Amino acid sequence: MNPELNMTPHDSGRTDPYAPELGSIASEDGDAENVTKTGTTTVGLATEEGVVIATDRRASLGGRFVSNKNVVKVEQIHPSAALTLVGSVGGAQSFIRTLRSEASLYETRRGEPMSISALATLAGNFARGGPFLAINPILGGVDDDGSHVYTIDPAGGVMQDNYAVTGSGMTIAYGTLEGEYDPDMSMDDARDLATKAVQAASERDTGSGNGLVIAEITDDGVEFEEFDDLDDAL
Amino acid sequence: MQGNQQQQAYDRGITIFSPDGRLYQVEYAREAVKRGSASVGIRTEEGVVLAADRQARSDLIERDSIEKTHKIDDHIAIASAGHVADARKLIDFARRRAQVERLRYDQPMGVEALTKSITDTIQEYTQTGGARPFGVSLIVGGMENGEPRLFETDPSGTPYEWSALAVGGGREEIQSYFEDNYEDGLTLEQGVGLALEGLAEPNDGGLDPDGVDLQTVDEEGVLAVSQDVIEAHLDERDLLGGDDE
Repeated sequence: MNPELNMTPHDSGRTDPYAPELGSIASEDGDAENVTKTGTTTVGLATEEGVVIATDRRASLGGRFVSNKNVVKVEQIHPSAALTLVGSVGGAQSFIRTLRSEASLYETRRGEPMSISALATLAGNFARGGPFLAINPILGGVDDDGSHVYTIDPAGGVMQDNYAVTGSGMTIAYGTLEGEYDPDMSMDDARDLATKAVQAASERDTGSGNGLVIAEITDDGVEFEEFDDLDDAL
Repeated sequence: MQGNQQQQAYDRGITIFSPDGRLYQVEYAREAVKRGSASVGIRTEEGVVLAADRQARSDLIERDSIEKTHKIDDHIAIASAGHVADARKLIDFARRRAQVERLRYDQPMGVEALTKSITDTIQEYTQTGGARPFGVSLIVGGMENGEPRLFETDPSGTPYEWSALAVGGGREEIQSYFEDNYEDGLTLEQGVGLALEGLAEPNDGGLDPDGVDLQTVDEEGVLAVSQDVIEAHLDERDLLGGDDE
């Protein structure tokens, strides 16, 4: 079985198991299908103090079978930035490893960490030209210019926003955020709102559920918390 | 006889150390830099000044065809001393590298990071069989996060950061002039003056404005300073030479 977060194992129609080659664009027909079947719900909110990212913990095959019940879908990739896993698990994990080593090399060579906008541009370039398959992550981070939330789409599109959701539960989670998000809100309020958004999506989206992971990103770094029961996070 | 042949090998193969641990070809490349006319760089509070002496061998040569200072990107310029053809290869490398930074990270290239990219390239040519070192020293100047930065590269591939420096022919004389006259908190205007005074130091007859190539880099970007402005600066300092020489 192909343990991907969001699609049935063999629905990509791909015949070459080694494709796509490193550096080529993954543009087979299967990609479009993968993207529409993206499972999970990942939420990112920017506040004055930092960024809150909340994700569910379910990995599923086509949104119909739960293949794993405690996936941590947000990972640190930079001293003060984190990225969510959305889309193909292999693609997203490889994407995170690659960005993490690039950010580390950059900081070691130059003696200062990469800015979040540079990190977002690099992520977009990799998504577009790399071997990472269909991914649709959120990048959240804090730098000298403040708090930033970006979405990276599978074709390499990079868009900044105050708040963003990706994954199959996005329409439900966005419904919770609209009208409730406030750029001046505190980190605690942002944390509650992100939790409620993932909670709503977990109730109604079959690709999302099984608890919650919260990442709080500030100048000081990234802190993670895991919850089996979403109410415990409120 | 055999000993003699071996001794020659130390200075022919650049990848071979001499018995006392020297790389003769790299040292000869430094000599090539000294044979070139001087270039200077000054770091001020507001930006950096790069200036070069481009005296022509003949009145018939077009001055603009003698390239000594080069714009690299909107916020970085480089002055060179030594083999012009060697410098051009590094200039093109620097221009490409600066654009790669924009493509990859969507941000302007840092002056220190660019200098280190260039020196890494220069270093490869001191260790690769069949190649020869670059017979050129560069002065890399520009703005980085709103701060002026000024660096030197030498033929061994070592980067140095400076407040004010000279490379090329007459280096010692100009450098000691800067050591006596440089101060913190200069304006860009004062930096231009100091650069011209330094360049004029080894030339007793003063400078011909057409024989000076001068660029400044500040928050506004890279500016090639016109001959009229250079002439005014030289006149003010009584350094105007040239035609009647």
